[in-house]
Amino acid sequence: MIARPGSALWLLHHEVRLFWYTTLASKKGKEPRGFHWKLLVPWLVIWLAIHAGGWYVVGKVFDGAAEMPQTLVVAASMLLVATFLFMLSSALKSSVEVLFDRGDMDLLLSSPLPSRSIFSVRLAGVVLGVASLYLFFLAPLAHVGLLQGHPRWLALYPVLLGMAAIASAAAMLLTLALVRWLGARRTRVVAQVLGALAGALLFILSQLPNLAVQTGASEGILARMARSSADIAADSLVWLPGRALLGDPMGAATVGVVALLAFALTVALTHRSFTRGLQLTAGIAKPSTRPTGALRFRFHQNLATTLIRKEWRLILRDPQLISQVLLQLLYLIPVLFLVFRKDGAQTLAVGTGLTLLCGSLSSSLAWIVLLSEDAPDLLQSSPANPRTVRHAKLAAAVGPVLALVCVPVLWLTWRAPVSGLLVAFTVCGVAIGSTLIVMWTGKPGERSALARRGQGNGVSAIFELSHLFGWGALAFMLPYAANQAQTGLGMAAGIGFAGAVAGGMPLLAWVFRRRTH
Amino acid sequence: MKMESPSLLVSGLRKQFARPAVDGLDLTIARGELYALLGPNGAGKTTTLRMVAGLLAPDAGRIEVNGIDLALDPAGAKRSMAYLPDDPMLYGKLKPTEYLEFVAGLWGVDGSTAEPRARQLLDWLDLTKHAHELTEGFSRGMKQKLALAGALIHEPQLLILDEPLTGLDAGASRQVKDLLLSHVAKGGTVILTTHILEVAERLAQRIGIIQHGRLIAQGTLEQLRQETEAETLEDMFLQLTGQA
Repeated sequence: MIARPGSALWLLHHEVRLFWYTTLASKKGKEPRGFHWKLLVPWLVIWLAIHAGGWYVVGKVFDGAAEMPQTLVVAASMLLVATFLFMLSSALKSSVEVLFDRGDMDLLLSSPLPSRSIFSVRLAGVVLGVASLYLFFLAPLAHVGLLQGHPRWLALYPVLLGMAAIASAAAMLLTLALVRWLGARRTRVVAQVLGALAGALLFILSQLPNLAVQTGASEGILARMARSSADIAADSLVWLPGRALLGDPMGAATVGVVALLAFALTVALTHRSFTRGLQLTAGIAKPSTRPTGALRFRFHQNLATTLIRKEWRLILRDPQLISQVLLQLLYLIPVLFLVFRKDGAQTLAVGTGLTLLCGSLSSSLAWIVLLSEDAPDLLQSSPANPRTVRHAKLAAAVGPVLALVCVPVLWLTWRAPVSGLLVAFTVCGVAIGSTLIVMWTGKPGERSALARRGQGNGVSAIFELSHLFGWGALAFMLPYAANQAQTGLGMAAGIGFAGAVAGGMPLLAWVFRRRTH
Repeated sequence: MKMESPSLLVSGLRKQFARPAVDGLDLTIARGELYALLGPNGAGKTTTLRMVAGLLAPDAGRIEVNGIDLALDPAGAKRSMAYLPDDPMLYGKLKPTEYLEFVAGLWGVDGSTAEPRARQLLDWLDLTKHAHELTEGFSRGMKQKLALAGALIHEPQLLILDEPLTGLDAGASRQVKDLLLSHVAKGGTVILTTHILEVAERLAQRIGIIQHGRLIAQGTLEQLRQETEAETLEDMFLQLTGQA
């Protein structure tokens, strides 16, 4: 059926087409951007594989019981909480994109289409975009449940769509509220940071039991949660989302009704605000910062200092970039707890964690500093020595990472000198090596593409990952071997192999370096 | 720097991509001259300027900037020139003061020289009141003016500008033109490309017309007029490029 041009359905079709273009359609310039079966084949294969995995898991977990086991309800509830946080994160990013980044709103709002329709369709587009990923990965469980005699599990569809609608409505309302309170310019930044934090919150929550509770080492998080949730009655509202996901009619209906209400209320109450918000964004290029005092210059630095200052300024003033980089730092928190805990003693895990984190951070910063230069022509057309420029940029990338981990490494060295020094070695090695690999094989791009920097550059990604794991293995094995009276042949071989990978990857990266750099 | 040498000497310059972009170009621009390089889209203007600025290696030919061979001493040649593309080379997250500090650092200009110069340029270009704002919020004209200030902070002898007036309003356009004329009046050299023929007609002492990577005509407005017997530069241009 072809929708009437100008109708909400027609606009939704346009929205879906845009979604297709930006997510699944061919990115190669010469290939047509329409629907192609060959683009779907790999996704179909993955989807079938998930079904196969789901068949095994569902059969094992549910085991033909007529009643839902409480553990499964707890697991489903936890899954939904996690999913909702990720959905909220995605929805915030999508709301900002819809509000600020997509360049078609002026066109739509200047057309005779009612703004209510535009807003409904935009919100529906966000809902579909947010839900699609989770439906892709979780719907196979419902299909498998159906085949194994649990048709109620199909409730997963309305429940996930409902959760996506609630998350999207909340995200859109929050974005619009932020526009009203902070102005359009700051909203963009705050919403992006909140989006990143919402995703990271889940990781922190998942680590809290590890940090707070001294339990047996092998107890799983699910078992721990089930044990701690035993006091909550099985028919409590707390488990309603979980029961809904597993096909409880009342639970599913409740989620559906709440979602519809959230969607309808958001549309009804805010489509005017939405328009006002967009009008505000038109003024985004006009910050009203007033001059603060007399002009002050700081010209008295050498070239390297000038370059390093410039790079750090650009990073520190880009909240979107910082939120993406700092997201990695959140994973440092549990490591730090382990380092500074008095009974700590998990030197091997700490050293490995710090090394992996250092490598990952160095890669990100190196890409930002070396390959997403805003004005490469300015540098190239200047008489500045290219070697000095390169060295200054390397220092700008590696310096903050080493400064960041120096406190835990020093603390570690004070407590266990040999292990600490070995960790210092692996941390320095991984930071320098990661930076060199990125410099030689990375693909230049805009700073906003940091999260997608590995796309279309498989060789560099393989080098980076292998190098990272090489140093990570060294950070584990070297202190371990140093604390043994005698090093076994297997350990020596492992250290040799990890060392070869850690040292060899930068060399390979140099061999395969991009000649244009 | 040789005093008797021209500001820019280009001989036998060639660059080929899928087809020849610049095809044996010879050009000599004297010190203190404002030279306008005109040509249809794809004629090779930007490629020529990028080669002169050291951003693109020529396939053949020689470029001398104030007597210094660009291939033999790129840093020396670049020290006395500045390049301003049509898309200003700015950092959105830097303030104008910080941008000028950075550019001065790249050219190794001493603070005692750069600071009064920076103040003067910001003042001339009416950017002082925006000196504490990030440039990402600037309009096209403000960005272009700041980029021009960056190009002038190290007082280059040769100023290379690619479409410097595109998208500027009348006020900004006037400010940029005044600054270029002032630069030339003080002995500096300017080579610019533009599609706004009126600008070339009013500012340039000599005009070169390039097509298919070759210089097909060159001279003062009067010389071109005599050559083509056309009245306006627009007519001359269309006639010479075969678009009339």
